[in-house]
Amino acid sequence: MSLRYLSRQSLQALFTIVMIVLLNFVLFRMMPGSPERILFRNPNLTQEALAAIRERWGLDQPLFPDQFFAYIVATLQGDLGDSYKFIGQPVIEVISERFWPTMILLGLGEMIAVVVGLALGSYTGWRRGGLVDRVGNGFSLVFYSMPYFVIGMPLIIIFATGLGWFPTSGMFTLGATYDSFLDQLLDFLHHLVLPLITVSIGLIGGYSILMRSSIVETRSEDYIGTARAKGLTDARILRHHAFPNALLPVVTLIAINLGYVVAGAITAEVVFNWPGLGTLTVDALNARDYPVLQGVFLFLGISVVLANLAADVVYGFLDPRVRR
Amino acid sequence: MTLLPDPRHLGRAEAEKTRALEDADAAAEAALEAPAAAAGLELPGAGLARAAGRGRRQWPLPKQADPDAPLLVVEGLSTHFRLGNGVVHAVDDVSFTLDDGEALGIAGESGCGKTTTALSLLKLLPSNADVVAGSVRLFGIDLRQKSEQAMRRYRWREISVIFQGAMNALNPVRRVGDQIAEPMIERLGMSPSAAATRARELLELVGIPKARAKAHPHELSGGMRQRAMIAMALACDPAIIIGDEPTTALDVMVQAQILELLEDLRAKLGLSLILITHDLSVLAETCDRVMIMYAGKVAEEGPVGRIFGSPRHPYTQMLLRAFPDVHAGRRDLGTIPGTPPDLRTPPPGCRFHPRCPVAMDVCRVEVPPEVRFDDRVRVACHLYPPGSDGTPRALPIAAAAGGPS
Amino acid sequence: MTAPALTRRELRGARMRLRVRNVRDFVRRFARRTDGVFGVLVLLFFGILALAPSVFVGPLETVTTATGQSFEPPSPAHLFGTDHLGRDMLNLTVHGARISMFIGLLATVITILLGAVVGIASGFIGGRWDSVMMRITDFFLVIPTFVLAIILAPIILDLVGTGAELFGIRATLLVIVVVIGLTSWAATARIIRSQTLSVRERMFVDRARVIGGGGPHIMRRHILPNVVNLIVANTVLTFAGAIFTETTLSFIGLGDPFQPSWGQLLNAAQSSGAPGLGAWWCIVPPAACVVLVILAFTLVGNALDDILNPKQAGRR
Repeated sequence: MSLRYLSRQSLQALFTIVMIVLLNFVLFRMMPGSPERILFRNPNLTQEALAAIRERWGLDQPLFPDQFFAYIVATLQGDLGDSYKFIGQPVIEVISERFWPTMILLGLGEMIAVVVGLALGSYTGWRRGGLVDRVGNGFSLVFYSMPYFVIGMPLIIIFATGLGWFPTSGMFTLGATYDSFLDQLLDFLHHLVLPLITVSIGLIGGYSILMRSSIVETRSEDYIGTARAKGLTDARILRHHAFPNALLPVVTLIAINLGYVVAGAITAEVVFNWPGLGTLTVDALNARDYPVLQGVFLFLGISVVLANLAADVVYGFLDPRVRR
Repeated sequence: MTLLPDPRHLGRAEAEKTRALEDADAAAEAALEAPAAAAGLELPGAGLARAAGRGRRQWPLPKQADPDAPLLVVEGLSTHFRLGNGVVHAVDDVSFTLDDGEALGIAGESGCGKTTTALSLLKLLPSNADVVAGSVRLFGIDLRQKSEQAMRRYRWREISVIFQGAMNALNPVRRVGDQIAEPMIERLGMSPSAAATRARELLELVGIPKARAKAHPHELSGGMRQRAMIAMALACDPAIIIGDEPTTALDVMVQAQILELLEDLRAKLGLSLILITHDLSVLAETCDRVMIMYAGKVAEEGPVGRIFGSPRHPYTQMLLRAFPDVHAGRRDLGTIPGTPPDLRTPPPGCRFHPRCPVAMDVCRVEVPPEVRFDDRVRVACHLYPPGSDGTPRALPIAAAAGGPS
Repeated sequence: MTAPALTRRELRGARMRLRVRNVRDFVRRFARRTDGVFGVLVLLFFGILALAPSVFVGPLETVTTATGQSFEPPSPAHLFGTDHLGRDMLNLTVHGARISMFIGLLATVITILLGAVVGIASGFIGGRWDSVMMRITDFFLVIPTFVLAIILAPIILDLVGTGAELFGIRATLLVIVVVIGLTSWAATARIIRSQTLSVRERMFVDRARVIGGGGPHIMRRHILPNVVNLIVANTVLTFAGAIFTETTLSFIGLGDPFQPSWGQLLNAAQSSGAPGLGAWWCIVPPAACVVLVILAFTLVGNALDDILNPKQAGRR
């Protein structure tokens, strides 16, 4: 793949990350109503803690350039401040504890959604009309219109509370002890099922609709006519000619969508009390724990940018026209 | 009996004209004994050409083929398109033949049904189109009766297509070599490596360096893409290649190269060609016979020399007048007034009568029957009723239209 | 031109007739889309409910005016049962329509205004300004705006103070409106900008033919009509997104318990443990309404988009 394409995309990604860091600074330090006012409102802090924070972050120093550079340096070193709520614990520690549960949930969910959604969309888009198409499209539209918790809560009521097949919340059974790693893994998977289904269903709808319309547009392209004239089977035309081309705009849209996927993950985690970044964010919100909020924003923002970059690389592999 | 003042088009046609006239005279007697069932007349040498061409094939004939049958006989082909607000009679009762090694040109204005006719042969029409009547006999096998599944045997292996605008007709994300090899692997069962090798050979045959097989379509120039399409069309060693406006999107120099290439390949491989175009100069260069279509029906058809040298149908005459001629003196280019008819409700009688300068009363009422002449030309026009000797019944166009300036 | 010029009056008349014909043609084409018609009917239903909820179910029940016991399942007295505070769910849900739709409307207006201004200005002015604006727009497209919204909301709320009220909507919800607007405008801006660019190109070609028409005249007659079509379809889809976002934001706790939107009702259900208790009636009505409304907007938006902005076959 061309170096020029890679470096161009990387530079853009870097630029965006820099903007995110700056935005973070602006949000906290420069908002009308200084940090102090916000700090004063926070009921969790004692006078000593306030003074300590003020000193630690140099809030008594001039905003620019002192505070600004201090902030940049600290961020680069991974020092995102200390949490208000978990007093004394560095933000970066708080975040890293919650990182993996979210990554697993989101990562697996996205993968399942991409595979199923694209397959469903391809099939319905290729065979337009017919019962499968109508039903599939209908379901996709409905799921696309459902916020994640609207999917999750009924799932809990039916499968957890009602049928008792799955636990209603959490990542592990409370207070459980495990005889082996395998036991722990099984318990984890048992808890993972409903949240994973929730996230997947939420995404499948959108991806299926996207892929379907892309395939429909691709069908009218001239090279599909050539493939038919070649006497190739329908299945081969779909797999080797229509799908690779229809995939291109969808990949771009999936990448753009990643920011919103994060939103979904947050709500899904809340419904299932899944100990990830989502519940962390909501707890921090309720406790007005700004350092954590900002840390999460920085972290998620950078993750999304990097994921976008990865998607760009994937796109480069798929579309030979951008490689030069 | 030329009605036009000596229209000599691109030089080649002139030689063709003379040769064709001689041929016509020689064939006149033999033609009289030809079987009446066939839609076209065969030259006495046709049987030999047939055997030679079919002997050169790499792959055996289809199982159902009749080795003595003519290559392609189309009779009474009619294709309709179903639209939301009506049925378009795109092709109406079209007949023609194609012999081994022949090049047939199909010409006419946009929308006259040329492309639809060609695509109907292989049933490559969109889902709202139906071939409603007629027969398409390839080696005597009626393709129209075949199901979609059965049709696939004949696609590309017996008849392949070169589409207009190769940029869009080639898959942009696959390599050119792979696309050429694909039908060989899928349809002929060749191994991928053997197919790749032959693909490179085909590229060389059409004048593209072998190394370019790894390229993607957007990396090739327009002319090279068209050549690649030709190479792809040759992949399964077909009997007939249909070229649908293969040179329209190219500039004149490249056009000439492509035509030369096609000529070359025809000579080398004994291919038969159906060339569809609205550019008469291209037909004059390449084709043995020409079929002029108008509004879904055949207006006139015959050897290229006769059609260009002494066109009979008024539409053909006006069409030829609309084309500039390098050799002739300056004159105003003729235009054909009016526009082609809406084929949902074609005009009654002869479809050309609203625009025809010599339309008679009968033209508005009756569909003109096809009449065959000794010089192997067919015309469908009331100026030449059945039994005519070739003299038009009414005033010549030159006089009616006031003649050239 | 050999045809005689029309008088001003005749011209106006001709234009009116053309407009009427266009409208009738549009209505006919829209009526053929069953999905669009279904969406319109659903929206009409909820719109009527939203305009005057008290007419249908009486005033909004609060903690003190609750009419039932806690977590009563559906019965003739309470068609949708009661929540953890004993409030009638039907009452809450219908009032929730007003809150949710109103917030959605306000948020959409802000989003579209912001997006349209940025989009049209950027497309029309072009050059440096365009590049800068597009950088900013793309930035807002990439970042997780939801998290940004979560951060902004309490900050703004702390600034404004919780007591403020506007149009009978409390500050908490207004903050949501503003926050949705600030984070969702980017997509609209991009779409409108690209349309403005294509119209501008056409405009410079037509300018040669316009005799005597000044700048603003061209803007009004040429640019605006073409961009409006796109804006209309986009607005409807934005409304769907606004309700989606507002419901989600309310669900995680940014809503107002005193003016509960559907999202807030779901938040209450979640925190009061309704799912664990199997109290599905606290969840299904607001959830179903949310889904129906979002679905309806999406269907209508897609139908409008297909009709107003037809895609040519084989367009690249």
